[in-house]
Amino acid sequence: MVRSIAKKEFLSTLRDSRFMALSIIVLLLLLAATIVGLHSYQTLQEERTIAQEKVNNQFANSADRHPHRMAHYGSYAFRPKSSISFLDFGIDSYTGASVYMEAHRQNSANFSQAQQSSSLIRFGEMTVAFVLQMLIPLLIIFLCFGAFTQEKETDTLQILLSQGVSLRQVAWAKIAGYSKVVALVVAPALVLASLLLFGRGGFEMEDDLLVRLVLFMLFYLVYFFIFIVLSVVVSALHQRSSTALVTLLGIWILLCVITPKATANLGANLYTTPTKAQMDADVHEEVAKGIDGHNSSDARAETLKQELLKKYKVAKLQDLPVNFDGILMAVGEEHSSKVYQAHFDDLTDIFKKQNSISEYTGLLNPYLAVRHLSMGMAGSDFSHYIHFQNMAERYRYNQSQELNHIQATQLKYGDKETRLSSDTWKNFKPFVYETPHAGWALGNHMVSLVSLLLWLVLVCTLGLRLIDNTKVA
Amino acid sequence: MKKFWILINFEWLNFKADKGLLILTTLTLFAGLYGIYYGTTEIERQRENIAALDVLTEHNVEEMKVKFPGEADAGDIGYYHSTFAVNHPDSWASLSMGQRDVNPYYIKLRLLNLQSQLYDTENINPLKVLSGNFDLAFVLVYLFPLLIIGLCFNILSLEKEQGTLPLLMSQPISLPLVVGAKLTFRVLIVMGLALLLSIIAMLWEQVSPDVRVALWLGVVVLNTLFWFGVAFLVAALQKNSAFSAVTLLGVWLMLTIIIPALLNVYVAIKQPVPQALELTIKQREEVHGGWDKPKRETMNKLFTLYPQWTDTTEIQGRFAWRWYYAFQHLGDVAVADLARDYQESLQARHQLVERLSVLSVPVNVQGVFNAMTGSDLPSHLAFLQSATRYHGELREFYYPFLFNQVGFTHADYDREPRHTSTSSPDFTTAYSGLVKLFLSVLLVYVAGLLLFRMKEAIVK
Repeated sequence: MVRSIAKKEFLSTLRDSRFMALSIIVLLLLLAATIVGLHSYQTLQEERTIAQEKVNNQFANSADRHPHRMAHYGSYAFRPKSSISFLDFGIDSYTGASVYMEAHRQNSANFSQAQQSSSLIRFGEMTVAFVLQMLIPLLIIFLCFGAFTQEKETDTLQILLSQGVSLRQVAWAKIAGYSKVVALVVAPALVLASLLLFGRGGFEMEDDLLVRLVLFMLFYLVYFFIFIVLSVVVSALHQRSSTALVTLLGIWILLCVITPKATANLGANLYTTPTKAQMDADVHEEVAKGIDGHNSSDARAETLKQELLKKYKVAKLQDLPVNFDGILMAVGEEHSSKVYQAHFDDLTDIFKKQNSISEYTGLLNPYLAVRHLSMGMAGSDFSHYIHFQNMAERYRYNQSQELNHIQATQLKYGDKETRLSSDTWKNFKPFVYETPHAGWALGNHMVSLVSLLLWLVLVCTLGLRLIDNTKVA
Repeated sequence: MKKFWILINFEWLNFKADKGLLILTTLTLFAGLYGIYYGTTEIERQRENIAALDVLTEHNVEEMKVKFPGEADAGDIGYYHSTFAVNHPDSWASLSMGQRDVNPYYIKLRLLNLQSQLYDTENINPLKVLSGNFDLAFVLVYLFPLLIIGLCFNILSLEKEQGTLPLLMSQPISLPLVVGAKLTFRVLIVMGLALLLSIIAMLWEQVSPDVRVALWLGVVVLNTLFWFGVAFLVAALQKNSAFSAVTLLGVWLMLTIIIPALLNVYVAIKQPVPQALELTIKQREEVHGGWDKPKRETMNKLFTLYPQWTDTTEIQGRFAWRWYYAFQHLGDVAVADLARDYQESLQARHQLVERLSVLSVPVNVQGVFNAMTGSDLPSHLAFLQSATRYHGELREFYYPFLFNQVGFTHADYDREPRHTSTSSPDFTTAYSGLVKLFLSVLLVYVAGLLLFRMKEAIVK
């Protein structure tokens, strides 16, 4: 009986020309979003790969230079796009693509897509994630709003129940039928996306990528299922199809349009972001209290000097077996980087607090939960961005210190003239960014994961219990 | 006419009795008030942050004075001292914040080459800017259409479904009159709410009372009318409530989300902006290459640009500040074409969006709002140009010290030029947007009327 109800729902939906038209539109949008996403991904990725190769070559082939000149010349880190970010751009359009890495200074990530756009971009981007997060739920609502109300309006529910099935069984049967329909709409696009993703790599499955993709799809399937059950429950609670539909559309607007923006804005209002100017000034102030790499008259530089002189039992800096300039610079870099990192971590914490409002709202709003999880799996979320910035900073620090080490060991004290051979720069490893693994990405979204699963459990238990109380007559 | 007012009166009674509608309207009112609150606090924060920059500059000057107690070499000052180019928000900015949260509203400048400093970004939480601003413009562009849809989707179908329409039609009144009265009543409510919120926002923010008051209110009225026109058009189809609700929401989704997202893709492909990364790479190469070039060559290049500083004395030794700043500036000169290309591409991108905005009323209205409040891409580009000019002024200020080798005294800090600019509204865009909006409204009403006539003809 249950199976035949499910089959009936499935077949009658397929015969509904209006629903089929809508499904085809959504499917087309989904396919279009996949292709557009891939195109945008390839353009940006190519741009950044070329730029990265160019600066790597420039560094390796630099003229003969003084090591500290090289430290100021520095490097660039261009953020590579994560392989499956073409499914969900996440925050990528709002984050800088290039970080200039030089001695003494930590620069901002510049040139985000959003800065290169007019305010049109704020209406949202056409991505697979957008279609999956916003449009499919709408399609589900349209599919399911009449699940019970139609039976009530045509007085078929009583007949159905007289066959000896319970309300709950009817509900499950309908949910099963609708799930099949949704799968039919979503599957082609997901298959295409997977083929495109793995086709590019010549079907060499990278384990991590596979895990990310499977989780990505799994989260969306859970999300769709939640919406199906939710819609069926709402339909059961209403007597008329039109009121059920309006209620569901209202829920959709609240979940997908209003709360995401409201919570993000509230977060930013509650936790004030310090300006970059203020942060830089604070870092500068704290560093100045310590040691200034360029200013050897500083008190701490003096202590260092005395320590070294004592250690090597010499009277003058010139007589030290190591170059004091390089040592001083290295100590200065170490100190200023520490200070900067502390401030950067504070800033990250403030951002995290701001974002936590949205994350915890996921407990009330499955859209937010799936949005965070989706970005996380696509490698285009906040954590991945911060991870990249930290990796760039680590590279910058190590490069500066290597160059300071070269100065300390290969050059004499006070030598500003000697230029080291160009071959020296070829020994430096270029910046390579590796996306963290899927487990790390998932770990950053435990709140959202719990939220999504909680919703799943809640709609299946509490929701269906509500159906038991529905008025049949 | 009397019948009309009777109908209006009954609508009012209906409205008062319908809790759902009351809740919807109240929610929109609160959303609007929150939007105003959010916009004003956010812009106020930007104002405070800008004011704090003065303190930072003062602080920096004090530090310089301690570091260089006597007369200093201007080269040292140019290197260690920093000032800010600032872009104050327009007094209207809080109503529609546009791209002000994405683009930096100040640029920290030293005497070094400009292109390595001009594009530095502010601390922004990307997840927050991705979600966008909950300002009054958002409420008017996104939420008011939804309110209108909520109020109108069952404008006729409800009477039909409740079986009251034949009853009503048995009276000596025509269908258009009934629809007209129902729409008028709703228009009054919604327009009243939209205008009220707009006026509250203007008073709260104490906006400069210029032609924009009329412009803003005009856009609000037309935008409201447009969405009522859409509701009218869908009502003319005379389908059931469920169909109307889905259709209206579909139109909203199309115009507010799907078309803009597709336009965005089109714009990115049609008007690419590939220069940024090349620009940043090239300027570094040029500037740092300066260290390796013969000093005479560098100086001669600068003297062709600034003949007044031409001197024949060779720079002795390893380093001289005037040579250092010469190659810094030549780095900028070398990428000037690329930088101009970059900004022109951005400008062209914006113009393309402006031309395409005719395809979606929300995009158009948002564009008009942002243009009026000076918060879109062109005003940021204007700021970048203003900052570029300021950097030029700074160089002109320091060059006499550097080339005449005059000491920089404590009194000279006060003589150093300071920068200020306020983003200015873009009336051309605003007016052309208003015309487009007017045409959209006209179009939707003509279509609605034609459809009604057609339907009536079929019925008859």
